[in-house]
Formats: sequence, C-alpha cells, structure tokens
Amino acid sequence: MEKAKIGAYQLFVLILLFELGSAVLVPIAIEAKRDAWLAILLGMVGGILLFFVYYRLYRFYPKLVLTEYIEKLVGKILGKILSFCYILFFAYSAARVLRDFGEMLLTYAYVNTPLFIVNTLLILVIIYAIQKGIEVLARTGELFFILLYLLAITGFLLLIFSGLFDLKQLKPFLEDGWGLVLKVVASQTLYVPFGEAIVFAMIFPYLKDSKKIKIAGVCGILLSGINLALVMAINISVLGIDLASRSQFPLLSTVQSIQIAEFLERLDVFFMVSMVIGIFFKVSLYFYAAVSATTILFKIKEPSKLVYPMGLAILFMSITIANSYSEHIKEGLIVTTRFLHPFFLVVIPVILLGIAYFKNWGRKRKSQNGAKNASMSQKG
Amino acid sequence: MPSFFKLSQRKKLRSKVKKQKEDPMKVDELTEPIYPLLEDQLSFIKRKTGNSADVVVRKASFDEKLGIKTAVVYVEGISNSQSINEFLIQSIIMNRELHRKSPEKDPFDILKEEIVALGDVKIHLDWDGVFQSLMSGETIVLVDGCSKALSASTRGGEQRSIEEPGSQVTVRGPRDGFTESIGTNISLVRRRIQNPNLWVETMKIGTVTKTDVSLVYIKGIAKEDIVNEVRSRLKRIEIDSILESGYIEQLIEDESFTTFPTFYYTERPDIVAGNLLEGRVSIMVNGTPFALIAPTVFIQFFQSVEDYYSRAYLATSLRFLRILIFFISIIAPASYIAGTTFHQEMIPTQLLIAIAAQRETVPFPAFVEALIMEVAFEILREAGVRMPRAVGSAISIVGALVIGQAAVQAGIVSPAMVIIVAITAIANFATPSFAVAISARIIRFLFMVVAATFGFYGIILGILVLAIHLTSLRSFGVPYFAPLAPLVPSGLGDSVVRTPMWALKKRPSLIANKQNQTRMGKNQHPRPNKSRGMVPRHPQEDQE
Repeated sequence: MEKAKIGAYQLFVLILLFELGSAVLVPIAIEAKRDAWLAILLGMVGGILLFFVYYRLYRFYPKLVLTEYIEKLVGKILGKILSFCYILFFAYSAARVLRDFGEMLLTYAYVNTPLFIVNTLLILVIIYAIQKGIEVLARTGELFFILLYLLAITGFLLLIFSGLFDLKQLKPFLEDGWGLVLKVVASQTLYVPFGEAIVFAMIFPYLKDSKKIKIAGVCGILLSGINLALVMAINISVLGIDLASRSQFPLLSTVQSIQIAEFLERLDVFFMVSMVIGIFFKVSLYFYAAVSATTILFKIKEPSKLVYPMGLAILFMSITIANSYSEHIKEGLIVTTRFLHPFFLVVIPVILLGIAYFKNWGRKRKSQNGAKNASMSQKG
Repeated sequence: MPSFFKLSQRKKLRSKVKKQKEDPMKVDELTEPIYPLLEDQLSFIKRKTGNSADVVVRKASFDEKLGIKTAVVYVEGISNSQSINEFLIQSIIMNRELHRKSPEKDPFDILKEEIVALGDVKIHLDWDGVFQSLMSGETIVLVDGCSKALSASTRGGEQRSIEEPGSQVTVRGPRDGFTESIGTNISLVRRRIQNPNLWVETMKIGTVTKTDVSLVYIKGIAKEDIVNEVRSRLKRIEIDSILESGYIEQLIEDESFTTFPTFYYTERPDIVAGNLLEGRVSIMVNGTPFALIAPTVFIQFFQSVEDYYSRAYLATSLRFLRILIFFISIIAPASYIAGTTFHQEMIPTQLLIAIAAQRETVPFPAFVEALIMEVAFEILREAGVRMPRAVGSAISIVGALVIGQAAVQAGIVSPAMVIIVAITAIANFATPSFAVAISARIIRFLFMVVAATFGFYGIILGILVLAIHLTSLRSFGVPYFAPLAPLVPSGLGDSVVRTPMWALKKRPSLIANKQNQTRMGKNQHPRPNKSRGMVPRHPQEDQE
C-alpha cells in the first residue's frame, strides 16, 4: 500500500472511467439484439448488488484491501493461494484489455503497424502513471472525465443535427422474450463491465471518507450503466440492428456516419480519443490492483520498482495470450466470461462475505453478551 | 649544504603566509572584536576591502584637547551621500564642544545619542557586522579608543525609478512596476495593503553576495505550514550568490525535473498584493524586479491580472481563449503532421485536395517541413530577443521574407505549413505567462516527433503523459492542477471561469488559512433600487 488519499468524487470518476473503458467501444450485449440496452441496465443492477458485496466485505476490514482480508478470512495458506490467483486474474485482465485495444487500433487506423509497438507505447504511458501512484491516476481521471463528456456531448449533438436517429430501429421491444435478455445478463453484462468493479476493493482503503464509498460507487456504476445503455441504443438506432451486430466497433461506425455540411465528417479522432482514454484507465486500474496485490503478498518494500517488470509481463502477456484476434475473442467469450469472471467476481466474494458474516456474527454475539453482562453487573 | 628537508620546510612556511594574505574573507579574523585604536581600525578596514576606491574614509577630530578622533566610513554609490554629509559629518564637526562640556561621558555615547541625526542606528562589537552594514550602504562611525562601531542607515544611491513593467502589460490597471531595489518593492506592496498583518521577514542569502531576500505574507491569511515550509527551504540554501529570484526558485522548488514553472513570477506589485490576499507568500530578492509567488497552481498561468479589473464575462471568455491558445501552441504543428501523414481520410476531401496540391512541389515529408519551419522560427525569435533594438526591424523584415514568401516560392515548404507555423507562433506569444509559453515551445517539438511516428495515437498518448505529469506536480504541497484535479468546488469560481466579483466569496481553500477564508460580507450582489421598468409606481409620483 502506498501513502495516498483520494476523495469520493475521484473514486466516482475512476469507477465511471473504468466501467466505460472498453465496454463503450465494443458491442456488448449485442446478443440481446434490440434489447441490448435493457440487458445492460439489468446487468448494471446486478453490478450494483455485486458492488454491495465488495463494499460489505470492505466494511468488515476498513483498513485492508481485498488480498489482505482474504488471508484473514480463509487462513494463511489458502489465502495466499487465492491472493496469488487474484494477482494473475488482474494481470490477465489488464493484458486482455490491452490486447483488445491493440487489435482495435490495428484494425481501423494502423493497419501496417505491429501490435507490439502499439501496445508498448500504451503500456509505457501506463507504467509512468502507475509509478506516480493512485492519487495522480485519480487526478488525471478527473481531467479526462471532463474531456470525455465534452466529446460525448458534442458527438451526441452532432448525431442529432445530422438527423441519423431512427428510434423505430429499437422496436419491437422484447422480440425474443425475457429469456434471451436474462441469459445475456447472466453470461455477460453482469461481469463485463459491472462486476469488474472488484478492482476497487484494492483501492477502497485509500478513501478519505469511507462513508462516501457507497454513494460514489453506486453513482459511478449507475451513470456508467445508463451511458452504456444509451450508447448501445444510439448505435442500434443509427446503424440498425443488422449493421450494429455485425460491426466490430459499433460506436466507431456511428461516429463515422456523422456528416454535417460536408465538412464535419469522419470524426474518427473522437472515437480514438475516447478509446485511448478509456482503455488507459481500465488497464491502469487492473495493473495497479495487480501491483498493489503483489507488493502485499510478497511484502515488497518499494512498489515503484515492481512497476516496470509487471508492465513488461503484462505487455508480453497481451501479445502471447492469443495467436489471432478471433482466437482472442473466442478465449474471451469461453474462458473469461464462463469460468474466470463468475469465479473471481461472484463466487469467491460471496463466499468470503459469508465467512466474514459468520466470523463477525460470533464475535458480535460475544461482545454483545459481554456488554449485557457488564450492564447487568452495573445494575446489580 | 642546504638539506632537502629544510628547504621543503621553508616552502611550507612561505605558503602559509601567502595564504593568509590571499584570503581576506577569512572568518575567524572577522569574528574578532573591534580594535580600540582608530588607526588600527581604519587600516584593518582598508586591508579587508583591498583599498577599494569606493570605500570612503573621512576623519574628523572630536575633541582636540584630548585628541579624540572619529572617522566616518561609507561606500560611495550605494549610500545616500547627502544625508551622510548633512546628518553625520556636518553634525560631528558642528558639535565638537559637546564632549568638552561633559568630559565624563563616553564620547561614543555622546555620538550615538546626541550627534548622529539618522533613523536606524546600530552598535557593532565585531567586524562581521561592521562589514555587512558597510557593504549594504550603511555608514560606519568609529571613535578613537572605543572598541565598538556605530552604523547608521544611509542606504541610497542611484536606482532605476519606478516604471511601467515591460512584461505583463495591461490595458487597465496600475502602471507601476517593481525595480531592482527590494526596499522600493516592499513599499509598493505595502502601499496597497496598509495593514500591520503584512509581515516581511528578511534574511541574507549567499555567502559572498549577502543578498537581501524577503519573505512577504499576510499573517492570518497565509497558511502557517506553507509559510514555515517556505522559510525552512529558504534557510536551507547555501550558495555563494543570489543574483536573481530564479536562483532561489531553482533551489527551493518541489520538482526540478519539469519544464513547467512551480512558481509564479511577476514584476507587478498589484499581482503580488492580490496573491498575498489569496493567502500566498511572496519571495522578493534584492537586485531584481521579479518577485516569486508560491504556492502556484497551473491555472494561474492562464489568468491575467486584468481579469479581475474587467467584467467577469469578458474575463471568462478570455480565459477559455487562453487555454485554447495553449493547446494550439502545443499541438497545432503536430496535428498537421499527423493529419497529412497518417490520417488523410479524416481531413475533408476539399481541404485534402488543396493541401495535397500545395505539397506537390515540396520535397520533404511533412515532419521535416514542419521541423524546418519551426526551427527557423525559433532562430528568428531568439535573434529578435537578443539583438540590439536598432536591428530588430531588420530581423523582422528578413524573417517575414525567409519564413513567408521566399520559402514558399522556392518550393521548400507549403503555404499551409506557413499558416500553421504562424498560428502556432502567435498563439505562443499570446500565452499570458512567459514561463508557460517557453515550456510549450519545448513540448511542441516532442509532440511533433510523436505525431510523425504514430499519428494521432501518439498525440493522444502525449497529452495523456502531459496530463499525468502536470497532475503529479505540486507546489509547496498544493496539487498543481487544483482546483480542477483534485476538484475543489469552492475554488472553481476563479479557475477556468471567473465568476462576478460578488460571487468570489472565498479565498482558495487549499492555499489560504482555514480559519480565514471568507473575503467579503454577505449580500454583496449589487441590487440598487430600480427607477424605471417593471417597478411598482408610487402614487405620490403620479401627483407630481
């Protein structure tokens, strides 16, 4: 743990940027077709519930991060193994997002550039940021939060002025019934992006005012969920469901379709800026969580020295985890969302919470009994 | 036969003697008490100052019967010779009989209490104090037989008068600027803040130059920890000379590995006064018109003092303009390079055709073209700054020809590039703070390099790095990007926007003292009675 303090607003901004991160760029919940926005909103509700699980765990140990209280809850050996798994999970997630980003950039802008170069550049910037610590990351977040929303509002206005909206594209509502929507929620949107907020369990103790975590977190997830649903709805209503579901990056296609006065067209820069910013914060936070967990697990005195080797590891991981983009996507759909995410984001935290309740229930009863006895003896 | 041993010993002896002669600033000699005899005193002073011509010694007999003599020593040019003549020398000569009338009194006390007709009088017992006073322009009075010295404040001499400052020119606002004299500068600030809480702590820094450095702040408004921190950092300085406030800035700043200034500097007393009133502290250095102000936040460099004198809406829009200017001066050439090299599809077709047609004859890639122009421009600017004024116009003519027409006609650069360079240059000049403008100049070249290698992706990453760097800076513990990041809602009123004066109720909360943040009373919104318009009419008025 470094010596740092962040405010509730900064946490809110970080959560928002983290959730929007890559999710706003890729077609999430597109399997739910026209009801993608509904699947996102329902996923958000589930995400908020998951956030309460993480928050409740934090309340039991308000000075500790996730990997520290795991040890307290399940014992030293099992706790260390689990912590190590979490480190791998965070690092792997960071590498996945980085790979996503590299592939995205290569597909639409830098066709001839090697993936390695693109990823190296971003990871260098991220290493620089992580070395400066969570405070600086949070402040940078505050700046880019403003920039991102300025871009979003401008883009939205431009879309309206270019007259591309067709709300009929969103109809019929619930074409395939609730079944499909709920299936998408359970298999995707619950975890990506909302359940991923577990990285903030590594950041909660830095908060100046721990009471505001709940409100900041809920607001962050709520706003990001609404924004994601809105973006997806806009994508579908502009592109139509066919194009939107076939497009690799529906937001890019939407932005590219803006055309005003034969001058404002091909505003790809908008997309690129929001992409780099979003991915930057997502990878940074995963990376930070991994570094922070490693320093705690291996009791490393200077976390800043760990940043370079970890960054290098994530960089190489991002390139070697898959041979091609399609393999990468397949891995993501099968391995990550079916096994990793349910396990790390839902099962373990819920079990931990159960153990925590159990342990503290016993303790509370004891202390209550003690208090009763004390008052009784006083009365006596 | 002279032995080798003896010879070397003699050499050692000789060298020792030489050393003593060569080192006039030897400390132990200066801490010695003042010798009692006047002749010894004067010869010591002469020896120490190396018989310098500007050290003037004027002897006068004080009591002829007893043979008591006095001497007045001062340094010509840094002391006020008129007051020395009138209030010291003349006074001593006129009052000779005072000691004769009461011979039981110590002549030194008579001199001090009845003869020297000057304000600030000090008694020195050792040579160190004597020389410090003498060198700062004070006059030393020595009396035969007394092993102490009197110093009287006669500082003065020729100085530049108060003029309008050359930097930070405003249309509306006071016209006076700091000079090279620290006394004048402090007085200019004190004239604006007529309050005993304006505290000035003066110390001497520089082992050789003994420069006066003043720490100025308003007690009760400035945060105690910040004042203490500044003071302790100033005390830490051990250097031979302080010739400008820049020396101090570089020795006490929080982060030296940055192109951005973590101090604000100004030669306008109204800016210093305004910042002191916000709770900041100012460091003034003798010998320079530039005062330092700390702690500084980044947004300060986009604020001009005139913002507070003119209407809020105008000030706000000008601040937006300045931020835009900063961005233009950093990324305009970089985005031109990125656009023409990597992202032609993003440029509207008509414009792309126009640019491509211009670039047809240009033999260089866009990056080289931009680099040539930017470097040429930087050379011109540097020449314009350093050249004697008389040659300045020649430079601008040559520059206009070289950068403008000739380069285009020769087919070396495209006209679009000239436009870009010109806009960048003007934007750079329009940045209100010179310090930030300079760092923008350096960063611009870095951005051009990343844009040439990676296009817009490189530019975006560059902006990210810039943002990380800026938000990681601190100035005396205050985050550099406050009040934007970290967001301080109460400080937003005077950041990118400036709200009207009646709404600026608080001092900046990260900087000013916590107990003393309100700066105006309630209900300061001007609400005069309306005489016309939709106001209820009084029946009496009708009758009239």
